[in-house]
Amino acid sequence: MARTEQQSNDRFAGRWFWRFASPAQFYPVAGMIEKICWGLALVLAAVGLYIGFFRAPTDATQGEVYRVIYIHVPAAWMAMIVYLAMAFWCAIGLAFGTRLSFMMSHALAPTGAIMAAVALWTGALWGRPTWGTYWVWDARLTSTLILLFLYIGYIALAAAFDDKKKGDRASALIALVGAVNVPIIYFSVQWWNTLHQGASVRPGSSSMATVMLTAMMIMTFAFWAYCVAVAMNRVRTQIIERERGAQWLGSGKGIKP
Amino acid sequence: MSLTVAARAVFVRELTLFARRKSDWANPLVFFLIVCSLFPFAIGSESEKLKLIGVGAVFVGALLAAMLTLPRLFDEDAKDGSLQHILLSREPLAALILARLAAVSVALALPLAIATPVFSLFYALPTDVALTLAVSVFIAVPTLVLIGAIASALLVSARGGAILTAVLVLPLTIPTLIFGAGAALKVLFGQSPAAELALQAAYLLFALALCPLAAAAALRISTD
Repeated sequence: MARTEQQSNDRFAGRWFWRFASPAQFYPVAGMIEKICWGLALVLAAVGLYIGFFRAPTDATQGEVYRVIYIHVPAAWMAMIVYLAMAFWCAIGLAFGTRLSFMMSHALAPTGAIMAAVALWTGALWGRPTWGTYWVWDARLTSTLILLFLYIGYIALAAAFDDKKKGDRASALIALVGAVNVPIIYFSVQWWNTLHQGASVRPGSSSMATVMLTAMMIMTFAFWAYCVAVAMNRVRTQIIERERGAQWLGSGKGIKP
Repeated sequence: MSLTVAARAVFVRELTLFARRKSDWANPLVFFLIVCSLFPFAIGSESEKLKLIGVGAVFVGALLAAMLTLPRLFDEDAKDGSLQHILLSREPLAALILARLAAVSVALALPLAIATPVFSLFYALPTDVALTLAVSVFIAVPTLVLIGAIASALLVSARGGAILTAVLVLPLTIPTLIFGAGAALKVLFGQSPAAELALQAAYLLFALALCPLAAAAALRISTD
């Protein structure tokens, strides 16, 4: 028996990252990642916004309004990426029963929902002067809205259970159902959009100036760093909240309240 | 007990329950009627205007009516203990759930689809449009029931089930809504609805393949 244990320990030893599936092990690492990502997010956002607002030229067709893309486009991208990350952790959690995976997906969900909301909001603010209306039933707008609904459903379902473990697995299942459906919804919305209206107004088809593109990419990395930082912060809170009875927390190891 | 016997027993039991408790399928029908009659009050009674929104109003009305019965899909069985029997059965849970959902789909989709052309009269829809709408409602309701079964199974033991079911399920019904209403609109504009109906049926088949499995997993989670 002892030998088998030894063997299995050896087997696990080669894969050092499995260690971090333990909330106790991951807690300090998450704190480190959080600090680094906050730093990155602040620096990149400062640089990106400076280039975007002061260096990038005024757009020939849209004027100054176009500058909202430095927030809008990264937020829209993050809304999609965060959903994928969330569904990934849900799948891992359901498959291996790892507690930390569910905590990760719970930590990601509010950030993703906020990103979707920010993308919609800034899109509306941009659409008013450019398209003349706050909202059009454009395929991309509609899919982002539906993505926001999926986030809300996930968060609401997770909150509906008194038994946290049950809530974890239930919401994970619904996140996966959503992930399977997202492409179908996306393509059906595109189909519907072409059915009902002609080509919707698009921003000028000319390719973007290099400066604008640079600023946007820097802002995208800033958003990545922000999302990771906030998710790590939230996952640490989750760990403290859920593991409050655990001994490693009681000993005060790595905890800075 | 073989699987076919078990599945048939579940199917027949469900239909018997619907036959004895007529309110289970009659109430959604009444709800459907009332929703359909509300829209004209809100937008006016000119028949040209009504014709344009009629397809969407009737279709959404039918979906919402079917939606109403979803929260109770597993609740009563959980309360009276028959759900435990199904869970403890040796037969695959997904197959038994499929049998159940088939019965619920028939009991809901048939009355709603038959009522659809009648309620379409409120909106002055031409006969061929109304009949296409009936077909697409007949495809949409089972799709909704299949997707809804996942949410309903998850929420057997959760707080605030009814509203949450709607929040979880309605966004996922958008494809069937787009294709179903699109089919009837095509007919309204004198085109063939074949492509839309085929895509709508494809979504139903997709749901048919995955939803019973997901609903079985969901039941295992919530009754854990």
